[in-house]
Amino acid sequence: MEATTGSVERVAPGAVSLGATSRHLGERLIRYLLFAATAISVLTTLGILYALLSETIKFFSEVGLVSFITDAEWAPLFEPPQYGIWQLINGTFLITGIAILLAIPLGLGSAVYLSEYATPRARKWIKPVLEVLVGVPTIVFGYFALTFVTPTILQSFLGVDVQIFNALAASLVMAIMILPTIASISEDAMSAVPQGLREGAYGMGATKLQVSTRVVFPAALSGVVAAIVLGISRAIGETMIVLIAAGQQPNSGVDPKQPFETIAAFIAATGKGDIPTGSTEYKTIFAAGMTLFLLTLVFNAIAIRFVRKYRQVYE
Amino acid sequence: MSAGPNLPTASDAANASLSEGPRKERLKDGAFRIAMLSCLGIALITLITLVVQDAVKGVGSINLDFFTNYASSFPENAGIRAALLGTIWLMGVCALFIIPVGVASAIYLEEYADGDRWYNRFIEVNIQNLAAVPSIIYGILGLAFLVRGPLELGRTVLAGGLTLALLVLPVVIIAGREAIRAVPPSIREGSMALGATKWQTLWKQVLPAAIPGIATGVILALSRAIGETAPLILVGAPIFIAFDPTGLNSSFTVLPLQAFNWISQPQSEFKDLAAAAILVLLGLLLIMNAVAIWLRNRYQQRW
Amino acid sequence: MSERIENLADRERHEDPEGAGAAYPAAAGSPAPAPEIHTTVRRSEHGAGVGPLEKVFELRSVNVSYGGTLAVADVSMDIYKNRITALIGPSGCGKSTLIRCLNRMNDLIPSASVSGQVIYHGQDLYASEVDPVEVRKRIGMVFQKPNPFPKSIKENVAFGPKILGLENIEERIERALKRAALWDEVKDRLDENAYGMSGGQQQRLCIARCLAVDPDVILMDEPCSALDPISTGRIEDLMLELKDSYSIVIVTHNMQQAARVSDRTAFLIVELDDAEARHGRLIEYDETERIFTNPADSRTEDYVSGKVG
Repeated sequence: MEATTGSVERVAPGAVSLGATSRHLGERLIRYLLFAATAISVLTTLGILYALLSETIKFFSEVGLVSFITDAEWAPLFEPPQYGIWQLINGTFLITGIAILLAIPLGLGSAVYLSEYATPRARKWIKPVLEVLVGVPTIVFGYFALTFVTPTILQSFLGVDVQIFNALAASLVMAIMILPTIASISEDAMSAVPQGLREGAYGMGATKLQVSTRVVFPAALSGVVAAIVLGISRAIGETMIVLIAAGQQPNSGVDPKQPFETIAAFIAATGKGDIPTGSTEYKTIFAAGMTLFLLTLVFNAIAIRFVRKYRQVYE
Repeated sequence: MSAGPNLPTASDAANASLSEGPRKERLKDGAFRIAMLSCLGIALITLITLVVQDAVKGVGSINLDFFTNYASSFPENAGIRAALLGTIWLMGVCALFIIPVGVASAIYLEEYADGDRWYNRFIEVNIQNLAAVPSIIYGILGLAFLVRGPLELGRTVLAGGLTLALLVLPVVIIAGREAIRAVPPSIREGSMALGATKWQTLWKQVLPAAIPGIATGVILALSRAIGETAPLILVGAPIFIAFDPTGLNSSFTVLPLQAFNWISQPQSEFKDLAAAAILVLLGLLLIMNAVAIWLRNRYQQRW
Repeated sequence: MSERIENLADRERHEDPEGAGAAYPAAAGSPAPAPEIHTTVRRSEHGAGVGPLEKVFELRSVNVSYGGTLAVADVSMDIYKNRITALIGPSGCGKSTLIRCLNRMNDLIPSASVSGQVIYHGQDLYASEVDPVEVRKRIGMVFQKPNPFPKSIKENVAFGPKILGLENIEERIERALKRAALWDEVKDRLDENAYGMSGGQQQRLCIARCLAVDPDVILMDEPCSALDPISTGRIEDLMLELKDSYSIVIVTHNMQQAARVSDRTAFLIVELDDAEARHGRLIEYDETERIFTNPADSRTEDYVSGKVG
């Protein structure tokens, strides 16, 4: 068998090979480029914070923080203009509140069914279908709320005396929109409960109802709470459903049959036109945006805490 | 954990027959099962109703003219031509941005970043936070920095595409990281042992193996971007666009924006047009998801 | 202990200027003297160890730590050209860690640190000016679990030469596959995906891949432990053929394999230090025949006779 060519010559490893130096430079350059690309995500956050903060501060220097909090109405275009954020927060929480009240039982029920009752085969095709709901653009939900839920369900079928634009329709549809979020995360948490716990209870003669409600659900509680809080966070930031179906009227009341405006909807409605940069009206977009950002930040932080808690317990 | 379940006692068990539990328990159990199933059922039925209702209302307006006409004050003459082209343009700009930036970020975070350094952990947390920020906030970002502000691009295709790109970038990064992570270390070792550099290993072995996962992530991101309305309300065109977008500097509208404009009109004919636009949008989404699923099934590497 | 090994090696050089061949039974095929242990020390027909002993590696007080915890303690040994050197020992004795020092694969583990010297043809591989990439171009490695790339057979073998910018790729592919005793089986299906091959074929492909860049040394980290006995036998045959052209270092947990193929064997054990931490230590390193028939250390004898390990 012939000796390999070159193996005798290949004695000293390239101790001072020039090729090595230029290659090292090339590798370092690549590393810096990759880091620069990654930095874009950081710049995005910084950009959001800077844009919101700088204009909000300017807004407060014009309008005043006190006015922002205590003015009775949100009426930037009236004479005299009022800038009380309370009406928008009221609308946001009313719509979110009703939506959550509906989404929690529906979402948890779906999660319990998927995790405790459904066969693995059923779970395999039901879960993707739920994921489809997540992928539906919110404008489709908005259209559905305005053209079907309000006239057909509420007015005709249920006979509720709602206005064309009302918070109730928006809330109902929003509940369906956040249901998959709640269901999916809760189901994850429930599936993570060790089978041993269930078997222990079944072994004592417990029924599925009892095991689901008294064993699995409490064990998965952190995950369920995380799911609900995430659902709230999504609902708070949701724009289109409200914009289309709930009307664009700031409202201090609690009657969902009336039109309401949320923070997100206000931002969209105002930002649609061409408002001169630097005007007070322009700044209201940012002040409202800052409020919305802070709200979702708080809820997201709470949710992450609970997610970490439930992951910790079983991993 | 809670206190133990309210269980039948031993004497109950002795008295009851083995084949049938107490009737009340069985009824309760059955009712519970039906209740849970109904929750799921409501969700599924609503989804079906959603699509069917839109299809019913919108399908009547769909004909060839619908695709070739521009928006118009006369419903009979209105079409989605500008919106459809605008959607395609924006998806193009978005993809051109998120693919290199997203993949590069994923490579950096998976292969180069030292997980113990504070700034790398900060970047990871940051990306997860960005994924949870409401989309309208991205609209504000776009308005402040892209449309106006330092870049002053105006309400153009470029501004719209970049706004969407920033919105969905986290999706690509997260999917890309998973795809890269899934490539086993043994492949990297085999390559390095032959005398390949880190980058050669990445570019010629790891990345090619991760492409199906990355492609799926990109399609997922674009699926999200294609339906986004709220941020584009702040960054996109005023109501009437009656021309084809010609470049990055053009004003634009997209399908969901056009639908929103039509919904906002009082006449019911426009609302039906909106339904039709939404139907086209859903159709596009269906195609994109089908491609993603096909990609995943065909090219998925079982390690 | 280390001094003893050094002396054995020195003694060999003094007594055996012609090379180690003279110390072994002359004719191939004649049975080795029956050892107390039931292993057959097999000698290849391909010119067992002829030629003067030339050093390929000189390890001097090599210590390897992971994140501050010692894994391999103070190894000094010489590895010779065109010989098969086996590293054996119980699980956890650091044989894989040690072999990975020889081609700087431990660099890939961020917490690993290596002290001491690994002198390769007169140059310390761990000197600061040495580029690990260059090192690996000359010292190849075959892994325990076959790890072909998810590409075609041809692309697998071509990868090394291509990134090294070598010429005559087609020729190299054929030559490497022939040397790895795989050519006849795959010559008609070079474009098929490597994952369609059996485990034994995949491992021979990995060997071919390694050979395609004309290395000087081939390191094998338990190359047969994931394979069936027939494939194992074929690869052992292959090793004996390759010995003429390459220097081979093999880690094996199968001491019969070491006895069958290697010229020299190094035996490592697991040691506990004061803090109850485990690390590996080289106990004995000698000609394979001596290790298996008349080891100097009682621990070696216990291991090779199957009493421990």
